[in-house]
Amino acid sequence: MAEQELVTIEINGIELQVPKGEMIIESAKRIGVDIPFFCYHPRLGKEQAANCRMCLVEAGTKQPDGSVRMMPKPQTSCTLPASQGMVIFTDTVAIQKARRGILEFLLINHPLDCPICDRGGECPLQNNTLFYGPAVSRFVEEKRHLPKAFPISDYVVLDRERCIHCARCTRFSQEISGDAQLDFLKRGADTMVSTFYDTEFTSRFSGNTIELCPVGALTSRVYRFRARPWDMKSQKSICTRCSNGCNIWLDYRPNRLVRVLGRENEAVNEEWTCDKGKFGHEYVNSDRRLLSPLIRKDGRFVTASWVEAYQLIASRIRQAVEQHGAKSVGAIGGAHLSNEEAYLLQKLMRVAVGTNNIDHRLERIQLPLADNPLLKRLGVPYAQNAIADIEKAKSVFILGSELVDEQPIVFLRARKAWYRRGAKVLIAYPEVTETELRFEEPLVLRYREGTEATLVNGLLHLLLASGKAVTDRLPSEEFQALQESVRSYTPQQVAEVTGISEQHLQEAIEWLGEGTVILCGNKVRNHPDHAGLVHLLVNLTILTGNAARDNGGLNILLPEVNSHGAADMGVLPDGLPGHATIGDAEARRRIERMWEVGLPWEPGLNTHAMLEAAARGQMQVLYIVGEDVAQKYHDPELAQRALENAGFVVVQDLFLTETAQYADVVLPAASVAEKEGTFTNTEGRVQRFWKAFNSPSPEVKPDLNIFAELAVYLGKPIPVFSAEQVMEEIAKVVPAYASCCYEVLPAEGCRVVQNEARLRLTPAAEGAAVL
Amino acid sequence: MSERIQLGEYPRVRRIDEKHPPELRFSQKAVEELERIKQHYPTKRAAMLPALWIAQREYGGYLPPEALMEVAYRLGTSYAVVQGVATFYTMYNKRPVGRVMLEVCTNLTCSICGGYEILRYLEQKLGIKVGETTPDGQFTLMEVECLNDCGNAPVMQVGNRYFGNLTPEKIDALIEQLKQSDEHTVVQLADTIVQCHLSESERQDIERALEKAQSAREAEQDGRDG
Amino acid sequence: MAELKVLFKDIDVPGIQTLEVYEQHGGYSALRKALGMTRQQVIDEVKASGLRGRGGAGFPAWIKWNGIPKDESQPHYVQCNADEGEPGTFKDRELMMRHPHQLIEGIIIAGYATLSKVGYIYIRGEYTEPARVMRRAIDEAYRAGYLGKNILGSGVDFDLYIHMGAGSYECGEESAMMSSIMGERGQPRLKFPHAPLPTIAGLWNCPTLINNVETLSCVPAIIRNGGAWYASMGTEKSTGTKIFSVSGHVNKPGNYEVEMGTPLMELLELAGGVKGKLKAVIPGGSSVPILPAEKCDVNLDYESLQAAGTMLGSGGFMVLNDTVCIVRFMRRTAAFYAHESCGKCTPCREGTRWMVKIFDRILAGGGRMEDIDLLLDICDQIDGRSYCALGDAAAWPIRASIKHYRHEYEYFIKHGHSMVEAQRYSAAV
Ligand SMILES: Cc1cc2nc3c(=O)[nH]c(=O)nc-3n(C[C@H](O)[C@H](O)[C@H](O)COP(=O)(O)O)c2cc1C
Ligand code: SF4
Ligand code: FES
Repeated sequence: MAEQELVTIEINGIELQVPKGEMIIESAKRIGVDIPFFCYHPRLGKEQAANCRMCLVEAGTKQPDGSVRMMPKPQTSCTLPASQGMVIFTDTVAIQKARRGILEFLLINHPLDCPICDRGGECPLQNNTLFYGPAVSRFVEEKRHLPKAFPISDYVVLDRERCIHCARCTRFSQEISGDAQLDFLKRGADTMVSTFYDTEFTSRFSGNTIELCPVGALTSRVYRFRARPWDMKSQKSICTRCSNGCNIWLDYRPNRLVRVLGRENEAVNEEWTCDKGKFGHEYVNSDRRLLSPLIRKDGRFVTASWVEAYQLIASRIRQAVEQHGAKSVGAIGGAHLSNEEAYLLQKLMRVAVGTNNIDHRLERIQLPLADNPLLKRLGVPYAQNAIADIEKAKSVFILGSELVDEQPIVFLRARKAWYRRGAKVLIAYPEVTETELRFEEPLVLRYREGTEATLVNGLLHLLLASGKAVTDRLPSEEFQALQESVRSYTPQQVAEVTGISEQHLQEAIEWLGEGTVILCGNKVRNHPDHAGLVHLLVNLTILTGNAARDNGGLNILLPEVNSHGAADMGVLPDGLPGHATIGDAEARRRIERMWEVGLPWEPGLNTHAMLEAAARGQMQVLYIVGEDVAQKYHDPELAQRALENAGFVVVQDLFLTETAQYADVVLPAASVAEKEGTFTNTEGRVQRFWKAFNSPSPEVKPDLNIFAELAVYLGKPIPVFSAEQVMEEIAKVVPAYASCCYEVLPAEGCRVVQNEARLRLTPAAEGAAVL
Repeated sequence: MSERIQLGEYPRVRRIDEKHPPELRFSQKAVEELERIKQHYPTKRAAMLPALWIAQREYGGYLPPEALMEVAYRLGTSYAVVQGVATFYTMYNKRPVGRVMLEVCTNLTCSICGGYEILRYLEQKLGIKVGETTPDGQFTLMEVECLNDCGNAPVMQVGNRYFGNLTPEKIDALIEQLKQSDEHTVVQLADTIVQCHLSESERQDIERALEKAQSAREAEQDGRDG
Repeated sequence: MAELKVLFKDIDVPGIQTLEVYEQHGGYSALRKALGMTRQQVIDEVKASGLRGRGGAGFPAWIKWNGIPKDESQPHYVQCNADEGEPGTFKDRELMMRHPHQLIEGIIIAGYATLSKVGYIYIRGEYTEPARVMRRAIDEAYRAGYLGKNILGSGVDFDLYIHMGAGSYECGEESAMMSSIMGERGQPRLKFPHAPLPTIAGLWNCPTLINNVETLSCVPAIIRNGGAWYASMGTEKSTGTKIFSVSGHVNKPGNYEVEMGTPLMELLELAGGVKGKLKAVIPGGSSVPILPAEKCDVNLDYESLQAAGTMLGSGGFMVLNDTVCIVRFMRRTAAFYAHESCGKCTPCREGTRWMVKIFDRILAGGGRMEDIDLLLDICDQIDGRSYCALGDAAAWPIRASIKHYRHEYEYFIKHGHSMVEAQRYSAAV
């Protein structure tokens, strides 16, 4: 990268060097000079900015003779790029007067309802008025009257009287989220923010506009009148609503979550959250939370003590193992657990019970670990590219995913790649997606449901025909085989099967090449021949020259908050921690040495097999952790039969879920806000979260404690003192997690899927890559 | 001033399904015109103003929400953005207007040369206030900013034409004449503006395309009949 | 004391709107000549002429022309500002209605000089009559090969499109006009030094030359007769001629083309003299400070008017006689700017509306003496702090009116009615 050119400027007489072109408002921060502002936001473009005029400064330039020539008018520092010899004054009498004037203008129409405004206490308008504003208003006429506080969606309330027209929300919706559902109407003093004829603000990112609004014009319907900023505390956390791992703040009052705010992490969510994240954590406050263990007696749940519950579970497990073997016990779940908990769960099952029947997956496809083509051929389990690198892509190929819904924040990066850097976007999906509406003229490949593999084969065919395929990374036999296998997928043929026109296919090839990021969603994850399809996609990745790139590669997006982590931790019937297969004797022995026990060496049953076995009455104990299998499993009927016919069902959850209705013992678990640990997100980034407040009842325990205590009752204690200590053990067992100990884990988290893993990859190293 | 409004009082806001195109009502001519005009600019979106003019013509002199949705759809922008543009410019009517729109200038020169008198006179004559439409839907009276024909103050715009040096007598005669004719001045104005965007060869092109479509339709009709 | 006609030289020739007659009077010879010159020679000729922008700011035209990058790595555009919205101005209207080919020729030459292949002429929506004339003329020019591909066999391409506005004064501001052409709300864009000049990054971020109708209409004569010829007219810094749109209380309102530096009173005489007793003149459209009768002994050029505390602006020359109540008149001015403010920036959006509210209160008899200083202070708070010059333009006239006619304001506030007895028009409010 080219060296950033530095220029020397002077602010209030202090000389400093700043990158050329940096906005003066930012430069001023470097020396602690405070410039008030409303409309400025570093992540929003300059295009519609500089409208509040609050950040005015006096600016001039040093002349060769040393004199300073000042510009006749004050300038907005939020859009003024630093240039050599610039001289800035931020606090002259004229500027003070200008600020007072702007505030007076803003306040003439701003209602005086601060005492009942949700923004009160954290309102830039309030703060700036206090510091820079006039003491009295000379405005004696009547203020503007507009409809107050009406909801424009389930989440957002709009109060037009309070709006100061900073255009932050409209800019966000047009530049960042791309739905452009907010815009100004009319002009002059009649200007107002609106959705189209006040219809519902359906953006999936509407919550961000609430945070961006510098006054109380856009407020949260959920947080409304719940608390004042000064009587809340905040804790750093990670959103658990999808696998993106957005950084959030949990704002709470004693033992009650009041709201969720976005927390900055350049590598993950910048500072945005989606609405699922911002408004989807209400469940922690629910009064339907489980408050103590329950045991089924005579068909009814009765409150029990933990001791009773543990004793019962332990005795049933021991009984099952003695009478039917350890294989008759199995555990499902883990994708919602922290890494530490997931690690402990599998250790509990393997060490204390002695079974490999453990799986965190509920998706249709539950491949054996050794069959993951991505891991085998590219050396990463799911994602080649870091989320932050997606924006550097030259083209983004979104395959089989309604990205805005599945991975909202990954979508924002993809959109940024297009909006800010002009990347081409290709979207392949059987139906019209909301995602494609957010790009201007993306290349849409509308294929017939189920023809994904034909499409990719067709692309491979064309790619080879185009002559621009990068072939030297494939061994020649493999390459020949590939050539052979795609020969019949002529454009004509593919067009016929998939329904995509030949012209579109050709056009797609033009855009596939080095720097193509492929993002695969649910249609790929749930494809009947998942492994085959991913093989093809790996071929595509290699042939486009993206086998080892930062801004190009293959990424399978994961469904749950810790799907990645659970797999890393070995919550797999055939995988030990660190993606070592059970069959890999050396890896197994290494772990056996560390754990000082012998491990079952036969692969266990995956979720589907466990459910089938249970349905046949062959599972004596089914331990279900944090998954509503009865509801969520893709074959709910099988799940229900399994639950009915299993010998003994333990459910560990926050709520009495549908699955829990089948349970013999229900264990109340703590929510994410009530415990600490780490999650590994879809790009393989390990991030920490902290405990915010206590559980609703002392009888509710973090999963970590439950596993540890249960181990004691099973007579194979796994000493656990804290999540931190578990992570230290993980770090030893799973080398990739070595840098994830709490003491050293960086604030932005640590991507365990290191780039070197891919760079190391040579055709010969196939299969050798271990996480 | 305080907000005592209960959220419950509001009905759930209406939701628009973005994934489905709105109802499209542009005539084929309009579609052809828009296609040509789009070619004038490097982006589709730039055809926004002409597209809104076309819509104003096609939807009978004003832009109901459906018209804005159609424009948004045809230009690939969001509904709100189109509404933002349409409400910015005063010549796009957001509410239905009369067949004849009388736009009286009361800006500086006109104001000192009798513009307000003309406005008052028209109010009296038509029995409506500024901004209103006569009950029979014939006339809408508007006060506008400078029409920039100040040499002929006071001035009024009616559709395509300016009328200057107005006096009550001239107004009487003009109103009489407008009552007689049946032209929709607002639609006409929109059409003129649309036509001004199109070059001679484009206009001929459109005519040819329309003729071709017409004969194709006829042939199809014949085919079906025969 | 006479008109000096450059732009209007042939305006009275019957049928000059048609290509045929225009050609008979030397039409398009300048284009032919320009095509035979290098681009730089054309720009140099404009430089020699000293031509300054007639849209209001008086910026030297050649600097813009010369500022356009001289390579064709990006498309270049010419944007002709025919949005004429400045109250009191109607010169562009006449130039388009009565002499369309002169403008088209000027635009093509500008396009040639700046390597542009596409020009937009942004005509305000109300101007359908001039637009139709322009349409007809452009079609003729296309037919004759002055526009389109390979103009006159020179290998130069140029397409000219009409883009109609839809009712917004602000769109006359050049960057707001860019927004409007690009299909956005007619709001201004960042200016230098916050963003590159339009000559570097204008329409769609490509180099764009923006000139007013009158400015571009001067070009054919300049190329035909040479820049030095043009510079020989007018004053040293304000060369050539200027069209003034004279309106208001004069006997013969209309457009008059005079040499720069002509005494103001001469122009008044040309326009048939004042009806009644002269009270004041607004020499450059509503945006410029008012000039009381006693100060009207001034020459009409950029520098002299500036020295007299006002501006040449766009040449919208409004004449007020002593029947005009300044307070009411300024209320109307303020209302215009409040109505036309685009709403983007705080000072202009809030300040202009506030001023109208204060004026309305004064007119309704509820004025307070401190309102005068409040108005002045609001003007200070808008002037120089708004996003574009509309804010400044809203402040200047009010400030000047208070400066020169404070007594009228005081009278109105004290008595609740106007000092000027003979009201010729009814209440504005
Ligand atoms: C609020 C405002 C309105 C303007 N309106 C017009 C206008 O109607 N016509 C015009 O030619 N210039 C107008 N201008 C000036 C233009 O911004 C610009 O200076 C001019 O088009 C440049 O052309 P010129 O250099 O040939 O004068 C306006 C400027 C402002 C600030
Ligand atoms: S994108 Fe996912 S992790 Fe981020 S806020 Fe939304 S649901 Fe939460
Ligand atoms: S922060 Fe600079 S103008 Fe608003």
